[in-house]
Amino acid sequence: MAIEETMPGRLLRWVTAAEPDWDAVYAEQLPRVYNFFRYRFGNTADAEDLTAKTFEKAWRARHRYRRELAGFSTWLLSIARNVGTDHLRASKSLVPIEEAVFLATSDTPEDQAVRNSDAERLATLLDELPDRDRELMALKYGAGMTNRAIAHATGLSESNVGTIVHRAIQTLRTRW
Amino acid sequence: MNESQLHSLRRDPSPAFASRLRVSLRALDTETVSIPTRWPLMKIAASVAIVALIAGVFSVPSVRASARSFLALFRVVNFVAVPVDRARLDTLLKKPLDLPGLIGEHVEILQDPGAPTLVASPAQAGELAGFAARTPGEIPVAMTRTEIGVSGERAARVTADTSRLRQVMDALGITDLDVPEGLDGQTATVRVPPIISMTYRQGPRVTRFLQTRSPQVTLPDGVDIAALGEIGLRLIGLPTTEAHDFARAIDWRTTLLVPVPSTVSSFKKVDINGHSGILIERQASKAVLWSADGLMFAIDSTQQMSDVMTMANSVK
Repeated sequence: MAIEETMPGRLLRWVTAAEPDWDAVYAEQLPRVYNFFRYRFGNTADAEDLTAKTFEKAWRARHRYRRELAGFSTWLLSIARNVGTDHLRASKSLVPIEEAVFLATSDTPEDQAVRNSDAERLATLLDELPDRDRELMALKYGAGMTNRAIAHATGLSESNVGTIVHRAIQTLRTRW
Repeated sequence: MNESQLHSLRRDPSPAFASRLRVSLRALDTETVSIPTRWPLMKIAASVAIVALIAGVFSVPSVRASARSFLALFRVVNFVAVPVDRARLDTLLKKPLDLPGLIGEHVEILQDPGAPTLVASPAQAGELAGFAARTPGEIPVAMTRTEIGVSGERAARVTADTSRLRQVMDALGITDLDVPEGLDGQTATVRVPPIISMTYRQGPRVTRFLQTRSPQVTLPDGVDIAALGEIGLRLIGLPTTEAHDFARAIDWRTTLLVPVPSTVSSFKKVDINGHSGILIERQASKAVLWSADGLMFAIDSTQQMSDVMTMANSVK
């Protein structure tokens, strides 16, 4: 049932122009931003640092966030992309994969070993992709964005995003 | 290479990192502005009682002075979301009315639930609460239940003061409704039975599942509940026409109003196993409330919507 059927339309307008629930935003967006950086740079320590920078920037700028222009996640990921670009400029040498430290999960030790092995392999292969392709893969698989959202965030067309991501996956599969 | 391997680099941030970052963001507040506080589910529940009290006791057109009272056993069947105009309340709080004091003077806590009692199992929780605790039959694979708590019964009595109510209404520009004569000194009592709270965690995501029996409200005899509700709705910020129509359209004895702050993203009606409920979304946070078999249920979660609805529909 639509909201309009629950409350009169006039009342519905009252619940727009909302300020984000920051606690909830934090809980939901933290893994997305963190994993965006894991896919982008493949290193846990960097991912934490860059995630922290992203949230601090977003936190300081939160009063400039305008709901009517972009979803909060898109806005936050645009900050993350800029932070990632700055990081790339500052340190051209990407992190060696052997530094990657993976966190404990609820998997069994066997599952985790396989998973870590796959993750290390994936990180190595991602590192060999062109920078733009890797960023799109990070947005797609790290941040969990749709092709449409990625297109909106990057200025590429949706079909172009689809093509690049598809090609990148083919490359990864070939080299796997 | 399969889809699972493509996702193999994903991890939840470590709780230690999530916690450190949260603290550092909070620290930034000292140099910026304060964080808009969240409106947790329990605060919503508390405000329901407050709205019920204010709406119920302070506005009784043509009330008959009577020593008798009746027990309004609220067998909650429906939930209706009502937007609360926080700006309006903020405006009211800035006026020299000492609103907290004004309300507090007339609210007497009869029974304080104290700190929740932690128990080891749903069965123990049920024994403490006086009803068999329900649990979700389905939860996300990586989610675990980390805590079960039982809050004791709470009760409060409110005594009406019509002159004070007039002050508040005047401050909010509500001049088209009359405060009835003869209400002074009348009391209403609200009792909220024990509440069972189950906490589930999956990485940084927290889900709380709450359950309780319907509250009991004792009102002075002869109360026109719809009229009471109208003033209450106006006090929380509904426009004149909506408040009037709304107050008369709903069955106050089977409907629980849920004040929804203006910071929510959306709310809508949902069906939970054939029972009517409401779903409230605020960015990543979802709350679903419904009633079944004489019990009220709520899930407050930052999980995905599908997970929240699956949990709700699997409660038994």
